[in-house]
Amino acid sequence: MLRNRLVTVLTFNEGTLFRTKLFEPDYRYTHNFVDSWSVDEIVMLDVSRDPTHDKQSFYDVVTQFAKECFVPLAVGGGIRSMEDVRQMMAVGGDKVVVNSGAVERPELITEIAEAYGSQCVVLSIDARKKDGEDGYEVFSHFAGQATGMTPADWARRGQELGAGEVLITSVERDGSLQGYDLALCRQVADAVSVPVLGLAGAGNWKHFVEGIEQGGLSAVCTQNIYHFTETSIASAKKFMDRKGIRVRL
Amino acid sequence: MIGIIDYGLGNLTSVLGAVTKVGFDGVISSDPGELADCEKLILPGVGAFPEGMANLNDRGLVDVLDDQVRQRRVPILGICLGFQLLGNNSTEFGETDGLGWIDAPVTVLTPDDAALRVPHVGWNEVLQASDCVLFDGIDDGALFYFVHTYKMELPSGGVAVGTCDYGGRFTAAVQNGNVFGTQFHPEKSQQCGLALLRNFLEKT
Repeated sequence: MLRNRLVTVLTFNEGTLFRTKLFEPDYRYTHNFVDSWSVDEIVMLDVSRDPTHDKQSFYDVVTQFAKECFVPLAVGGGIRSMEDVRQMMAVGGDKVVVNSGAVERPELITEIAEAYGSQCVVLSIDARKKDGEDGYEVFSHFAGQATGMTPADWARRGQELGAGEVLITSVERDGSLQGYDLALCRQVADAVSVPVLGLAGAGNWKHFVEGIEQGGLSAVCTQNIYHFTETSIASAKKFMDRKGIRVRL
Repeated sequence: MIGIIDYGLGNLTSVLGAVTKVGFDGVISSDPGELADCEKLILPGVGAFPEGMANLNDRGLVDVLDDQVRQRRVPILGICLGFQLLGNNSTEFGETDGLGWIDAPVTVLTPDDAALRVPHVGWNEVLQASDCVLFDGIDDGALFYFVHTYKMELPSGGVAVGTCDYGGRFTAAVQNGNVFGTQFHPEKSQQCGLALLRNFLEKT
């Protein structure tokens, strides 16, 4: 039986690891807390905002990291072209994560899928709650640009274009430790038949269980939680196992 | 030298990293001359079938592979797409012929349970269907990392040395003489994956 996955997301600015809160960098905790023998998958994102920044510093970090990483490694941040994809794969990526580049030019998803297969493309969607009304809207460009799309519609279209997985992130929950936005996760999970990964808000092990049981997630992702706890991914997985979630122990 | 075949696709760096980790010298190469000198070959994964076959042909690699694998009996390990390319043909993006070293077609994964999402992504149990050196020292039912939309389906046992269940049983690992293949990614399956890779490199 397929296991639910616990995924660690690492964000880098100009080659330096940091955590985020409300999509802003927070450099208080910059140690690498990845317990690479227990985690099921790792996502590394270059979130440098200066469009002219040197991508090489991120590639260098991935190259070093990939040498000792024997779980799947998804890499992304600023991917706009197939050349970017080739670079990300060359430095050790097993799959790539696209976000704003796919909003700008949705065919990018198809181009990657046709060359590397659907399973190689993760569509990352950042969503905000709509002001004063129900529902969510997709925001691109570091959650700064409204797109007019709902996350469910964009996820569905992304799947049609060839995305093999969807990563849904709640902007408001980023760094909040208040749990995943379960309604948002559920809307996206119900909209597609590919696996959905959820990110933003996990503050304790119970949130992982909720994300899977109520949010319909195939994989629960965290960025910040290990910065605040002494305990390991292994302990999170033992907790999930006790709650009846099938994980790789 | 372990030849990791570069056909323009695939997570070659990850495969080389794992080969290095278990103590072997590998080279990523698309040079037929260099690959002809390798004592073992790995055909990595990640890619779409038609593009994979087209790239092998365009780089003139099919002949050297055929010579190495069929004439000189050099062991080869196909991983994920590389495993599927060992088959007769695939229906991914139309119909494309494969290398034909494993007598089976590659078809789309269709779990019999609608709740099971495709692609099949994550860690799943591999049941060992017959004795194969790849699984030496590895528990029956050990977890390996899969990420795929297409599958090969052979009768369990015989050539199909490992199987996996995802809304129906499909072939997870094959051995046909010196031709080995895994649908899962040993280079991304932690200790069990590294152990399998070491078995291939040390014992075949």
